Amino acid sequence: MPYLEVRAIRKTYPGGVLANDDIHFNVEAGEIHGLVGENGAGKSTLMKILYGMEQPDSGEIWLGGQRAHIAHPQAAIQLGIGMVHQHFQLVPTLTVAENIALGRETRRGLFADRGVMRERVRALSDQFGLHVNPDALVSDLSVGLQQRVEILKMLYRNARLLILDEPSAVLTPQEVVSLFEVLRRLVAEGCTAIFITHKLDEIMTLCDRATVLRRGQVVGTVETARVTPAEIARLMVGHELEPPLARKASAAESRDRLIVRDLQTGDARLQNTTVNFSVKSGEILGIAGMEGNGQTGLVEALIGLRPDAKGDILLDGTNLHGLSTRDRRKRGLALIPEDRNREGLSRPMRIWENLASGEYDRSPLNTGGVLRLERMRTAARALMERFDIRAPNEGVAVSTLSGGNAQKVVIARELATPPAVLIASQPTRGLDIGATGFVHEQLLNLREQGCGVLLISADLDELLALSDRIAVLFEGRILRIFPREEATREQIGLAMAGKVESEQAR
Amino acid sequence: MKTSFVASFSRTLVTVLLALLVGGLIMQLSGKDAMGAYQVLWNSAVGSPRALANTLLAATPLIFTGLATLIAFKAGIFNVGVEGSLYVGAFAAAWVGFTFVDMPGILLIPLAFFAGGLVGGLWGLIPGYLKARLRVDEIVTTIMLNYVAILFTNYLVTGPFFVPGMANAMSAEVAPQAQLPRLMERSQLNISFLLALVVLALVAFLLRRTALGYEIQTLGTNATFARWMGMPVARTILLVMFLSGLIGGLAGAGQALGVHYRFVGGFSQGLGFDGIVITLLGRNTPGGVLLASLFLGALRSGASTMEMFTQIPRDLIDIVTALLIFFVAVEVTVPKVWKYWRGGSKTQMAASGSER
Repeated sequence: MPYLEVRAIRKTYPGGVLANDDIHFNVEAGEIHGLVGENGAGKSTLMKILYGMEQPDSGEIWLGGQRAHIAHPQAAIQLGIGMVHQHFQLVPTLTVAENIALGRETRRGLFADRGVMRERVRALSDQFGLHVNPDALVSDLSVGLQQRVEILKMLYRNARLLILDEPSAVLTPQEVVSLFEVLRRLVAEGCTAIFITHKLDEIMTLCDRATVLRRGQVVGTVETARVTPAEIARLMVGHELEPPLARKASAAESRDRLIVRDLQTGDARLQNTTVNFSVKSGEILGIAGMEGNGQTGLVEALIGLRPDAKGDILLDGTNLHGLSTRDRRKRGLALIPEDRNREGLSRPMRIWENLASGEYDRSPLNTGGVLRLERMRTAARALMERFDIRAPNEGVAVSTLSGGNAQKVVIARELATPPAVLIASQPTRGLDIGATGFVHEQLLNLREQGCGVLLISADLDELLALSDRIAVLFEGRILRIFPREEATREQIGLAMAGKVESEQAR
Repeated sequence: MKTSFVASFSRTLVTVLLALLVGGLIMQLSGKDAMGAYQVLWNSAVGSPRALANTLLAATPLIFTGLATLIAFKAGIFNVGVEGSLYVGAFAAAWVGFTFVDMPGILLIPLAFFAGGLVGGLWGLIPGYLKARLRVDEIVTTIMLNYVAILFTNYLVTGPFFVPGMANAMSAEVAPQAQLPRLMERSQLNISFLLALVVLALVAFLLRRTALGYEIQTLGTNATFARWMGMPVARTILLVMFLSGLIGGLAGAGQALGVHYRFVGGFSQGLGFDGIVITLLGRNTPGGVLLASLFLGALRSGASTMEMFTQIPRDLIDIVTALLIFFVAVEVTVPKVWKYWRGGSKTQMAASGSER
C-alpha cells in the first residue's frame, strides 16, 4: 500500500484555469519521488493542495491508508507533511534553534526553554547528518545552510513526508550535491520526500521514481532506473528535445565591444577588489560564480545604478562612466535583469506598456511628450509575433503571463533594436525547458549578429553550452578566465570555491 | 476592461449603500426617522436647480483635492499634504486679490489662480525634494507641513496682514473684480467649478496619454523597475509633488476667491484630507474622483438643509463619511476573509460527508 495516494484531484482557479485535471499518483514510504513538469504544468498547485494551502474541487488524498482532509497547513503538519519552500521563511536575526522552534517553543513557566530547544535541534541535526549549529545566527548562514534549517524546522514538527519545492534552484552545484546527501540520509532515517524540479539530471541522480505533469495532467510515472533523461523530457514537453544548439562560428572580426577596466562596484563588503574583462563582438562571455560574489554589484555598476562605482566601462570605445542608466541604454547597452518581476517588468501594467518602457521617451512613440498609443500597441503586436509571446492580446497585464512569457516580454523589449552589448543575468532562472531553449537561441542569434553578450548564470551547464569564454567571479574579482576548450566542470567548480593555483591567478 | 469597470463601480455602489444603511440604522436607534431624513437630504441635494448648484459648489474643492491626491497616489506617493498646499494657495490667491486692486478682473483672476497654484506647488516641492533627493518618507513630512501651513497662514492674517476691526483671523476682502463670477442666481456656485472640470480633463489626459503619465504609472506600480529602465525617478517625484501641490493650491484659491472673498484662517476643515477619501472611493481614477466628489458634495450640501428641517444634526453626514472610509477599507480585506471562510466551510462539508 502506498504511503501517499492522490486520487483524481481536480482544481480550477477562478477565471477558468484548470490547474490540476484528474491527478493520480502515489508515493511509497521511504522513497524520493520526483515531480517534474514545465512551468504551469500544475506542480505548485498540487503541492499547495497537499500542504493545505489550496482546496481541491474534487478528489481524495490518502495518507498511510487513511483519507486525509488537509484544510490548512497546520493540518498538514499534524499529519506529518512538511514543506520546504523555495523562498525561505526564516527570521535572519534569530538563531537557528530559535527559528526552528518559533511557534513551537518549549516553555518553562512564562519563558521559552532555550536549553531544551537547542538540545532537540542538535539531536535532530546529528540524527539526520545536517551539521547545523543551533546557535548560529541565520543571517550568517549560506543559502544552502538556510535551506537545511528549513528542513530541520519541518523535522522538528515531526514531518515524515517532506515536500521540497525546487530546492536546487537557489543552490550552487556543490550545495546541490550536499543537499542530495542530506535527502538520502533523511530517507534512510525513515522519511519520505517529494522533490519538485525542472532539472532532469537531478531526477536521474536522486529520485527512485518520478511523476511527470503536463498541462495539469499526469502523463506518466517512471522508474528512473529504467528510462533515459530524453524520455522524461519527451513526456514533459510532448516532443523530443532538439539536440544541443549548434553554435555557428561567429563573425570573424573581433573588436572589443565592452571593456571593463579596474571597475570598483562600491560594494561595502567587496572593497579593494576590481573587475577587469572585455567582451568581443560575436562573443558570449560567461560569468560563473556562487551567488554573492559580486554579480549584483557588477550588473548594477554596468547599467549605471551604482553612483559610487569607480573605473572605466567602455562601450564601443565610449566611456560610460558618469552616464545615467537611460544614457547607457541609449548607447546600446541592454539588460535582462536577474529578477524579472522586480527589475525587468511592471507586472500590473499591460504587455504593450511594458514593451514600450525603453522607447516611450522618444520618437516614434512620443511626440512632444504625448504618447502615440496606437503606435505603441502596433509595435507591441509585432514584437509579440516576433518573439512568440503567447497572450490573448497586447492589452493584458503582464501579471497574467507565465514565467516564460513574461521573460519573453523582457527579451523582446531589450532586443527590439539589436544592442551593442547585452547583459543577461540569470536569464533562464525558473523557466521551463521550452522557454529556456528560446532564450538560449536568442543569445546565440545575438552572438552571430556580432553583439557582445555577457551571460551571468548560476547554471554551469548553461554557461558551458553557450559561452566562448567563462570567467569565474570570486569575492568581487575575476579569478580566472577559461577559454571554452579548457573549461571543465571540475576546474570551474574549484575556481568558484576560490581554489586556483597561484600562478594561474592572474 | 469594460467588465472590470462595471465590477468596481458596482462594488463602490454596495459600499456606499452599506454606509447609508448603517448611518440610517444609527438614526433609527437614536429615535429619528431615517427614511424621512434621507428624503430631505435627497431633496435638498438634488431636488431643485438651486440645490443642485449647491451640491456642485460643495463638490468643487473636493474635485481639486481628490485630483491632487490621485496624481500622487498614482506615482505611489502618499501625499497627505494637500491640506497644507490648499492653505498656502488660498492665501496667495487672496493676497493677489486684495493687493492688485487696480487690475481688471480678466487679468486679476488668472493671476490670483496662478499665484495660488504656484505657491501650493512650491509647498508640495518641499516634501517632494526631501523624498526624491534624501529619501525622507513623505507621509511624515507632509503631515507635519500641514500644521506649518495652517498655523503660518493664520499668523499672516493675525499679524502682518491683520485687518483692524475684524473679529476673526481673516484677511481683507479681495477686490470686487477678483471675486469669481457666479454661474447661477442665489447660489455661490462659481467658475471655479468649471476650472475643476478642466483640471480633471487635464489630469486624465496627463495620466493616460503623456510620457510623464507613463512614468508616474510605472513609478507607482514598480519603482525598482522604473529605476532599472533608467526613468528619471527623482524628476518624476518632484514633478508629481509639484503638480499635486499645485492642484491643492487651486482648490484653496477657488475657495478664497469664490466663496469667502478673502482668506479666512482655518477655513478648510479638512478639505485636503477629504481628497484621500475621494480618491479611495473613486477607485484611483479621474472619473471616479468626479463621481465621489459629487456624491460627497451632495451629502454635505444636503446636510445643512436637512438640519434645518429635521431633527437630524449634520453630524450624521460626518458619520456617513466615516462609514464610507470604513467600508472602503473593509472592502479590501473582505475578499480574503470570504475566500478563507469559503475554503474552510468546503473542507468541513467534505469532512462531514466522509464520516457518514
